[in-house]
Formats: sequence, structure tokens, C-alpha cells
Amino acid sequence: MGRYVLRRVLQGILTLFLVIFLLHLLTTFAIQLNGNPALAFFGDRVPTQAQLSAVSARFGLDDPCYNQLGNPCFGPFVNRLKDYLSGDFGTNLRGREITSIVATAAPNSFRLFLVVTATWLVVGMFLGSTAARRRGKVVDHGIRGFSVMIDALPVFVMLLVYRYVITVPVYTWAKKQFGSDSFIALLFKPSFDSDHPMITVIIPGILLGLAGSAAFIRLVRAAQLENYNSDHVRAARSKGLSERHVRVFHIVRNSSIPVATAVGIVFTEALAGAVITEGVMNIYGMGGLLWNAVRDSDVSLIIGIVTLLAIVTIVVMILVDLLYAALDPRIRYE
Amino acid sequence: MSDQTVQVLITEEQNPEEGRGGGSIWGDAFRTLRRRPEVIIAALVALFFLVVALFPKLFTSQDPQHCDIADSGIPPQGFGGAHPFGTDITGCDMLAGVVYGARPSLLLAFIVVGLSVLIGVTLGTLAGFYLGWVDTIISRAVEVFLVIPLLLAALLLLSLFHGAETSGVLGSILQPALVLTLFGWMGYTRYVRANVLETKNLDYVVAARVLGASDLRIMVRHVLPNAIGTVTALVPTAIAGVIGTEAVLAFLGIGVRPPAVSWGILISNGSERFAAGSQYLLLFPLGCLVLTVLAFVILGDALRDALDPKLK
Repeated sequence: MGRYVLRRVLQGILTLFLVIFLLHLLTTFAIQLNGNPALAFFGDRVPTQAQLSAVSARFGLDDPCYNQLGNPCFGPFVNRLKDYLSGDFGTNLRGREITSIVATAAPNSFRLFLVVTATWLVVGMFLGSTAARRRGKVVDHGIRGFSVMIDALPVFVMLLVYRYVITVPVYTWAKKQFGSDSFIALLFKPSFDSDHPMITVIIPGILLGLAGSAAFIRLVRAAQLENYNSDHVRAARSKGLSERHVRVFHIVRNSSIPVATAVGIVFTEALAGAVITEGVMNIYGMGGLLWNAVRDSDVSLIIGIVTLLAIVTIVVMILVDLLYAALDPRIRYE
Repeated sequence: MSDQTVQVLITEEQNPEEGRGGGSIWGDAFRTLRRRPEVIIAALVALFFLVVALFPKLFTSQDPQHCDIADSGIPPQGFGGAHPFGTDITGCDMLAGVVYGARPSLLLAFIVVGLSVLIGVTLGTLAGFYLGWVDTIISRAVEVFLVIPLLLAALLLLSLFHGAETSGVLGSILQPALVLTLFGWMGYTRYVRANVLETKNLDYVVAARVLGASDLRIMVRHVLPNAIGTVTALVPTAIAGVIGTEAVLAFLGIGVRPPAVSWGILISNGSERFAAGSQYLLLFPLGCLVLTVLAFVILGDALRDALDPKLK
């Protein structure tokens, strides 16, 4: 196990290096094609050459290679890596440290992800197992139709409809009925409230979780169906174990291994979904920051957050792989 | 005559139709799909929006760019009135907007998915067929690109291109198309690679090799037709995904850009002025988007079933 962990972590570090290099190449290329993003700092005003070069220097964009199309800019890349290693992810256009901005925003993203994960597990496991148990029956077809419907409603659409069509009347009604600080009123508040961070992310989180749960339902159903027909289940049944016991200990437990790995894959999708959710619902989290940074064309903030999120994704993927290896001994010895 | 051939002859006589299409996975899939009513409805809906995107003039005589401020904020009048879907705050006809908005949305989706499949199939086949260092490089690239979620990459790159000049329908979707393709090919590569690995050691491929067929011929004529089935099932779902992503990008002002109209832009405008009396500005484009996405998702779901031999 120790060797496997070491190998996987080293692989992860290599991937991380390549990802940062790829992001660097793409941004460099975009800047070379499209001109200095430091111009965004000045908004509509036209800066003098001195002002522009001062701002470029502050964001590390003063290297002449940014004017040469096709130059991969290795010099700035090495500097950037050094900065990242010392924990410096740059500043936004107003000069605030990105790490300190992210530190205040991350807890809200974490709350959102708690709700999302809970929704995945509850909806995905429950509906997936039910569908597998009643294969081919009406319930199975119903659950399948439900998952197709979820797929057909992008998170973005779901949130727009929720925010603009549903919350306003419900919130007004709840405010009148129970007072504006009551639980129900806060639950349906159209936008995030930093005084009540947990309550106001519940419904956006459930919606985002629902959007990801379609894949989960299908996966859980397929994994359990495979187990229903396997030899060890037949053996357990013929020993005379109750159907309930067989289901809980021999089917659900065995089929949770592929489901655990899927968490890693769905995570990247949920990350993108979180950007949309936090943006549309005004949640002050990492995704919301990114959303607003795009609206303000705050390029250095965008680069910083995307890099940080890529790092988080790699860490999650490594953790999931290790979890998989811990659950299934076959993986360790491949 | 051995028992087996007799058996085959008997089945052929019993099911003349299946005997004729035998072997062809596409024929089988098509016959399965034809029997499902929801698939037919979904196909008709998708076809309808394709026709709308191709021939907008059939559906409206108005020009979406020609807006008369005197007509601003007319609620939907129903078919027969001058503005069946009403007009927005600047007096632009909503029906014309929705009709002309179909083209950029669908064109973007088809370009992105088409290019991604092309790249994915090429790289996946090369990786699975040659293995070795080709495979190492391609698999590593897939892994690196997979770590960065599509939407995040699109936000980063498109906001760098924020000020760039564009012209025409094709020009306005060129940037989002390139960026979405750049981060959309990995899934196909993985699937094709896995299928090629499975297919290339089958007896008939070995036979072709023994007969002296070139690598290219084996790949194109023998391996690919068998390896491409599962990928096809991903296509409609991917098209639906791109249509949704376009809406998000347009909402943020970095996708298809005004003055071009797309469903995303209409949704963005509609939600900005969402208030009593003008809900239709959001609901019409949103409805079109949901219908189209739903149709493609149903098609993808049915195709996945029909092409999956394990479910038969």
C-alpha cells in the first residue's frame, strides 16, 4: 500500500505540473493574440504608456515575450511556479491577495459541496437501488424517465427558473406568513445571505446535487444489477439468508466500490456546476468569485482561481484513487 | 449439412427481416429505435429546430436586428398579430429573436461536437492501435486536459479574448467553438482507445493483417467501424451539453456576442428584466432551449440502449 500511495502521489504532482504549464501556455498564447489584459485595469480610460507599464509590471505581464506570438514564455513560467510554491497566487485588480480572498470564500463553497454530496448519496443511492430492485417494473421506468429529465435540464436553466420564477412568490409569502428571519423565509431567499450561510445554500445545493445525480442513479443501478446476478449473491441466498440481509451486506456494499470512484469524475463536473450555482445565486464562494471576476474581466483573479481549483481537483482525484485502492485490494497489485 | 447450418437456415426462414439486416449493428439499432414513440417525437422536435436554424425565413418575416423602439414591450399577441411572441424592451421582435437565435446555438453545438469527435477518434485510434510512446503521450494529455473542467477553461480563455473583434455568425462563434473543442475531445479519445484495444486482437483483424493489409487500412476499414458504436451514443448528449454551455457563456457575456442573437443572449437579456408582465422574455428562449436539449438527451439515451449489446 505504501508504494502505491507514493507512486500515485508522484504521478499527481507530475499531472499538476503539466496542468499549470498548460494553463500558462494557453493564457500566454491568448495574451499574445489579443493584447495586454492589464488594460482591463483602466476600464474605459486610455492609460499613458508609463501607467500601463507600471500596471503590467505589477501583474508580471511586462516580459517582452508576451509581444512575440508563439513564444512559450518560459521565463515568466518559472517565476510563476516559484510564486505558487511560496503560496503567492497574485492579486486581483484592486490589489488584494488572491489567497486571502479565497480563504474568506472557500467555507461557503465547502457548505455548498456538503449539501451537494448529501443529495448525490441520498438521491443516487436510494433511486438507483430502488430501480435495480424493481428492474423492468413501472418504478424502474419511472426512475429512468426522472434521470433523463434531470439530464435535460441544465443546472443553469434549473437555477434560473428557481431564482426568477419560484423564489420570488414563495419568499414574499413566507416573509408575510412567518417573518423575514424565519427558517422557511431564509430557505427560499432568492440570493445568498452571509449572516445565514448554511440555510441559504441548502436549496441551490440540492438543485446542483440533483443535476449530478442522474449519472449516479444510472451507475448505482448498473453496479447493483451486476451484483444481483453474481455467484456470491446466489450463494448467500442459498445459504438461507434473508433477502434484506443479502441486499444490504452483499449487494449494496459490493456495488459501492465503482460508485466511490465515480465521485471523483462527477466532482469536476460539480465544480463547474458550482461556478454557475454560486454565480446565479450570488453565493460568496470560489465559484461566485470566478463568476464575478469574469463579469469584471479581472484576468489575474481568474487565472489564480482556476489554478487553485485545478489543484483541488487533482487532490480529490488522488484521494479517490487511494480510497479505491483501500476498498478493493486488486487495484494495489496491478 | 451440419446441424448448425440447418439451424441458421431455419432462423432465416422464420425471421426474414432480421436475417437480412443480420450482423449490422446499425440496422438493429435503427429497428429498435423506430419502435419507441418517445424517440420519434424527440427526433421530430430536434429536426424541427434544425429546420428553424437552417431556414429561419420560413418562420418569421421580421429581422431580429431591426428593432423599432416605438414597439417596445408589446406582450405576446398570439399567431396572427404582428409580434406573435411580443417584443422586448428595445422593440425587437421576440419570435424573430428565438428563430434566428437557433442558428448560432445549434451551429456551435454541431461544430464543437463534430470537431471533438474527429480529434477524439483519431487520437484514440492511434493510441489504442500503436500503444507504446504514442499511447503514453496521448493518455497523459487526456489526463491533463480532464483535470481542468470545460467551463473553467472556457471562462479563463474567453475572458482573455474579451475585447477581440468579431464579424458575422461564424466569426462570433469561432472563439467559443475553438475553446470548447479544445476541452471537449478527451471523452471520445478514452472510449475509442478502449474499444480499439478490444477490437484489434479479434480474429478477423489478425486475418486482415496476415493478408498484408496496411496499418491505415486495418484501422479505417476493420477496427474503426467496430470501435465507433459507443461513441455515437455520446454525440446527442454532447450536443445537448454544448447548447447548455453556450447559454451560460452568453449569460456572462463571453460566448456568442451581440449584435448576433443566440438563445443564451436572449435568456441573459430576459433574466435581467425579469419582472411582472415581461416573464415571456425569459420563458420563450428558455423553453426553446429546454425542448431542444430534452430532445437530444432522449435521443442519446435511446441510442445508448440500442447500441449496447449487453442490454439485449
